[in-house]
Amino acid sequence: MTERGISRREFAKSAVAIGGTAALAACLDRGSGTIPRGTDDLSSLPDRQHAWDASLATDDAGNHRLSRHHVLLLFDYASDGPPTDADREQVESALRDLERAYEWSNEGLLFTLGYSPAYFDRFEADVAGVDLPEPMALAPFEDPELDTPDALLHLASDDERAVIAAEEALKGNRDTVNDHEMSATFEGVLREAERRTGFVGAGLPAENQDVDGVPDSEPVPEEAPLFMGFKSGFKENQASEDRVTVDSGPFAGGATQHLSKIRLQLQQWYEQDSRDQRVSKMFCPAHAAEDKVEGVGENLGTDNGAGECPEDVVDSGRREGVVGHAQKMSRVREDGTPTLLRRDFSSTDGGEAGLHFLSLQRSIADFVATKQAMNGTDVANDSAVGQRVNNGILQYMTVTRRGNYLLPPRSLRSLPRANPDT
Amino acid sequence: MNRRQFLASAGLAGTTVLAGCGSLSSQSTRAPPLVENRPDATYRPTHAEGMGMAGIAQAGEYMVGLSYSFPHRFWTVTGTTAEKVDIRSEDSVHLMATIWDPETEMVLPVSAGLSITIERDGETVADKSPWPMISQNMGFHYGDNYALGGDGVYQLSVRVNGMGERRLGALEGRFNEAGEATVEFDFAQNTRDQLSFEEFPDSQGERAAVDLMNMDMVPTSQVPEVSALPGTVLGTDKGSDGVYAVTWLQDAAFLADGESYLAVSARTPYNRVPLPMMSLDGTVEADSETLFEDALTAAVHPELGYHYGAIVETAAQAPSVSVDVVAPPQVSRHEGYETAFLTAPSFSFASG
Repeated sequence: MTERGISRREFAKSAVAIGGTAALAACLDRGSGTIPRGTDDLSSLPDRQHAWDASLATDDAGNHRLSRHHVLLLFDYASDGPPTDADREQVESALRDLERAYEWSNEGLLFTLGYSPAYFDRFEADVAGVDLPEPMALAPFEDPELDTPDALLHLASDDERAVIAAEEALKGNRDTVNDHEMSATFEGVLREAERRTGFVGAGLPAENQDVDGVPDSEPVPEEAPLFMGFKSGFKENQASEDRVTVDSGPFAGGATQHLSKIRLQLQQWYEQDSRDQRVSKMFCPAHAAEDKVEGVGENLGTDNGAGECPEDVVDSGRREGVVGHAQKMSRVREDGTPTLLRRDFSSTDGGEAGLHFLSLQRSIADFVATKQAMNGTDVANDSAVGQRVNNGILQYMTVTRRGNYLLPPRSLRSLPRANPDT
Repeated sequence: MNRRQFLASAGLAGTTVLAGCGSLSSQSTRAPPLVENRPDATYRPTHAEGMGMAGIAQAGEYMVGLSYSFPHRFWTVTGTTAEKVDIRSEDSVHLMATIWDPETEMVLPVSAGLSITIERDGETVADKSPWPMISQNMGFHYGDNYALGGDGVYQLSVRVNGMGERRLGALEGRFNEAGEATVEFDFAQNTRDQLSFEEFPDSQGERAAVDLMNMDMVPTSQVPEVSALPGTVLGTDKGSDGVYAVTWLQDAAFLADGESYLAVSARTPYNRVPLPMMSLDGTVEADSETLFEDALTAAVHPELGYHYGAIVETAAQAPSVSVDVVAPPQVSRHEGYETAFLTAPSFSFASG
């Protein structure tokens, strides 16, 4: 036990959620090997900030496996007017320090820095070549708060020390990261407005299930990568990085990013729904009837199989009385492939079971279309399926926040102008 | 004290009391064994429980009545399967919400549903969306079992979503928006334990139903008697225990010239509780011509109540109608309804 009366194991599992120098000290103290160093040849790094896939590990089936620990930092730019060149250089120097300190990989550190409509409001010009709308409620049954900070930094690593130390270094709370000296920080330029954290990967949700929204019976399976107990992000159900990349204009090589914060209420899910009901609602009723999903769904390989669920979701809902989440999502494909690249993860922020649904897409309109399919309002209006009951997994979630961001290409990632060509 | 400790100690205190008095609140008394060989139909349950009021409030255009009873078993429905939900040892009440229109006093089965957050001293005690469900004595409501942390004042915050069902007549244009309200619920286990608890050892399992409860402050969810339905009633059919009444409206105010309206009112036998959240197909024929063949839409109308209907472009006075139940009501069931309305019958009425 430490002086704080928290066992080391208890403390370690929530270090990223706690954050700060104390959490980092405990983490470093606990130590577990070295974190791979970054490169001095920064030109070797990809032009796209969101080019993570090639640097992520893959699972046995060949799916990209997202880094296990995540920190989301929402920032406000310190001044109301357009950013100065000095501020721009300071942010860029700090980010380059992180790249020199950590390998660009799941074992080192992956990150993106995006900008909101509120940030671009300070420019007279509109965002060039990309439609970046204000966030809004995207279902008749939701009432989210809308994020207004200027910037969103997403830090990800398999090693919790990397995300906490990088955060502390950017905030000016430490001079070195991974034995690399920081030449600059965000201090005086980007001011923290909000901090969110999370995790994804087998073992983590089960370890962190002592939160509101998960019943006391500790139902989250040990091998579950997310709180709801099933695997997601199958390769065939994800857009490629190419598909989500802005392909023309000054922000070509960038992407749009949507971030929502979702509160999960899983007592009914785990204590009242049967396994068949959960599979029906997460995938589709046919998957339940045919026993297609074993455990958390590792047996599905690289495809959740939603393509084999009945394609006409309204008709299927009318006959079955229930439609699956994956089944609804499979309606939103373009040229046979999905339009969203999910990089979402579970969370215990605020002591509540949650999901930070972070997705990349070429256009926010792609996200809105996908969300509309997930709402299943057409199914609800024309069938026995309720608007939330038996309508995928809507019954168990409440969207509490939404935000839209533009991830510029790496070359423009530091306080870009709305029209970088001017 | 964290949430787990809080709940654990509250649960422990409850257990101690039960062990001490060893009577009224014990699980076995509160949930007698299910009837053996239940019929695939509405049946008289093993027992009926009284109900206490937790509070009433206006939530936007809606009225919300919150009531409670002993925790009890119920069944959720997915497709044609009813899945039993058992009482947990920590459950302290079955909480029920009834939504109605203060102008017509009609109970509204809103398929968009509602969510309830329960807080005490600023701590969240529960946060979930109770199931739409039917009960013989409570009618249609939203309900679930909740584990409270012992006696005390709880804030129950309810958010009722806007209606997706078609609204006709005086209900047109209303209930588009969500409404929110908070009521204070002063819960005392003693008060709960004084609610009535009546067992029916001699009549349980019979094909009958317990009477709907009359509540002073909350309207009852009942659709009209068949004889009171507007329009020309084309026929009734028992289906698989549900009772379907089909009526044909030609002069309703919401119809344009040359339009008629087919309405199917699906209700429980004995109590006339509406059966929401079904998929129905309808076919209308007159003079050997098919005038309509499509899905029926869930709708509410002040005189028809909750029903499934379609506007048909015809002036035919007595068409032939056939109705296919494509999916049974996806509402959860209290005891006595869990084996009923789980199949998909078809029926038709020829013009005569």
